[in-house]
Amino acid sequence: MGDADSKLDLTTFLLSSIHDMKNSMGVMVVYLQDALAARGDVPADTGVREKTAQALYEAQRVSDHLVQLLALYKIDQSFYPFDPQYHVLADLSREALARVADLAELKGISLESDCDEEVCAWLDYDLVFGVVVQALHNALRYGNQRVMLRVQAHASGARIRVEDDGPGFPDFLLAHGNARERGISFETGSTGLGLYFAGLVAGMHQGAGRSGALSLENGGPLGGGVFMLELP
Amino acid sequence: MINLPRPDLSDKSILIIEDYEGMRGILRDLLGRAGATRIAFAANSQAAIPLLERHRYDAVLCDLHLGQGLNGQQILEEARHRQLLAPHTVWLMVSAEKTAEMVTGTMESRPDDYLLKPITETLLFTRLSRQMARRQTLAPIEQAMRDREYLKAMNLTEAQLGRPTPHLWDLKRLKADLALHVGNHAHAREIYLEALGQRDLPWAHLGLAKIHFLEGRHAEARDELEQVTRGNRAYLEAHDWMARALDKLGDLDAAQAVLSAALTTSPHAPLRQGQLGEIAYRRGDLETAAGAFRRQVDLARQTPLKAADPYLWLSRVQLARGKADEALRALAELSVDLRTDDTARLLARALEIPVHLQAGARERARALAGELAAELGEQANELPAEAILELAKPLMDLGEKDTAATLLTSLVGNNHEHPEILERAKAVFAEAGLAEEGHALVDRATRAATESMNQGVKLAREGKLDEAIEFTREARARMPNNPRLLLNHAFLLIAWMEQYGRDLRIASEARSCIEMARRLKPGEKRAGELLTKLELVGNDFGG
Repeated sequence: MGDADSKLDLTTFLLSSIHDMKNSMGVMVVYLQDALAARGDVPADTGVREKTAQALYEAQRVSDHLVQLLALYKIDQSFYPFDPQYHVLADLSREALARVADLAELKGISLESDCDEEVCAWLDYDLVFGVVVQALHNALRYGNQRVMLRVQAHASGARIRVEDDGPGFPDFLLAHGNARERGISFETGSTGLGLYFAGLVAGMHQGAGRSGALSLENGGPLGGGVFMLELP
Repeated sequence: MINLPRPDLSDKSILIIEDYEGMRGILRDLLGRAGATRIAFAANSQAAIPLLERHRYDAVLCDLHLGQGLNGQQILEEARHRQLLAPHTVWLMVSAEKTAEMVTGTMESRPDDYLLKPITETLLFTRLSRQMARRQTLAPIEQAMRDREYLKAMNLTEAQLGRPTPHLWDLKRLKADLALHVGNHAHAREIYLEALGQRDLPWAHLGLAKIHFLEGRHAEARDELEQVTRGNRAYLEAHDWMARALDKLGDLDAAQAVLSAALTTSPHAPLRQGQLGEIAYRRGDLETAAGAFRRQVDLARQTPLKAADPYLWLSRVQLARGKADEALRALAELSVDLRTDDTARLLARALEIPVHLQAGARERARALAGELAAELGEQANELPAEAILELAKPLMDLGEKDTAATLLTSLVGNNHEHPEILERAKAVFAEAGLAEEGHALVDRATRAATESMNQGVKLAREGKLDEAIEFTREARARMPNNPRLLLNHAFLLIAWMEQYGRDLRIASEARSCIEMARRLKPGEKRAGELLTKLELVGNDFGG
């Protein structure tokens, strides 16, 4: 047994563990949603609901990250089945909003949407959906009262914006998020993965002589963070 | 607050195929929230297939990875193949992750959508609603395809494209597939090029490559496929076509490498295993060939893809490796697994002859040859070319020269335009020291086939359509697997109907000729064109 063999084994273990964890998290998310849906059982003022909601948020965040890790591995190893299809973005937008609706309700944040029904774009649904849901989770975590998902036609493609009314992105993230080359920085914690993933997904979408792009800014109509994904 | 309206599922019948009990419960509860009460469950394929046979469900939720028996993809293929689904049935495949299988495959093999776990209420209801609406739109097209009225299906597609639709590119892609099917390559090409003008779409490259391949431009097919495979092994179907193109270009090493790569990504593909086996065999890589055919046999055993060929190949390869026991074992498996197929059972016994011979059991081989000679002669037209070539020499050797000659005459009649097979037939005689006799037999059989074609055409030109048809019909009985003859016969039948009006029996005879020719020579453009003509002769032909 050489070094190559033991490295291969570790990768295999890591991958199968990630799979396993992802499946467990999936089940956990469903149970937590069920627990929250059973409104009659728990008095509203016990704080149990709030803690359950927080647990749901954390579970979804871990689940999102595990899914991203698996996708990143496949992209890196050249066997991610990138599959651009022509989608109505309103569908994606509704599905993403509904995915985070429970959480928004529990945190008392108003989830709004401004989406042109006509906008279509070529995109890999699973990848873009993952990026948008993660951006919404992030906005719900830092927003105060309002989170907005906007979808607009942009050139031949679309622009997806997630806005919140929170304190905005810290400076290092603004720099990081807008940098051309993104790497994982261990000092800044887990945010590296999400941004790296979003940037990679943006770049994989190419067409009409242009490439997808990701940007972060502060301000915007709600005064907080603005996450923006442009698809060509 | 954004909440999606739940669909009303109270009048829908739904089948859940899922091996994990917990997940079955979750799905049932979710569906129950939308009023669904008519829910059936199956934990595996053995339970699912009988349910699908008995009832046409409105929707099927199926896990891709089931513990035992067929996986979800195989169940879907069997259900589509046997038409166990209604045209409006929505099939949602549930999977833990996005895999290569999800982006390839033909219209018949793709589910309507994939649901990636975790399955939440939102995910389930948005996708179910979306796909139920989409299926309603596509159902008439699907029905036309089932009735094999491809022209009608194309017109329906065209009509839908004339209105604003959220399924724009779905419909265009479907139209291109249909155009390819009826031999209208120009129209298919137009759509693929338009798609590529939009994005670098794997399916459009694949479509163009198929057209190049079918029209014999193998190098162009390879170059087009490189646009897709280029370092990415996720696009499996492109790998299969790449291997075919490389094979035609004579680069067997590269063809084998491409198939091996695709099988690393997705090993549970019986046809691809068989493709690898044949290429490896021709390269002399018998180890790989034996492994591939073994896997093909095991994978296809429980599916509708089950056929005699892989077993025969496995036996052939094992014999070439000097493993007579293994060769006999493959044949024994064939006679058990395909016990209801008379030809398969005959083949399983007959191909023991060369194995016994090679193992030195000459008397046993002779006895078997004597026993089977009459039956082989009678079924000559049903036997695959490779098996005939394999049997002819031992039969000759064992003194069954007449049977060998009958088999080879049938082989030549069915393949009179296939020079390689004609040469191999002659070689069998030459090896037995009967080169001249071989030449004479092949010439005779080839001439008979050619004359049949010419005579049919001549009679038709003279306006004696009925006589021409009688002639080709009789020739077809002698050479039932000759693609050219089948298409000529179909052409005459269609010409007859153009003159005298549509006739259900004649139309059905023409259709069966075209479909047989297509099975023998996949992608034959003329077959597609005749299919279109047949449809145009009248439109009262239901499936």
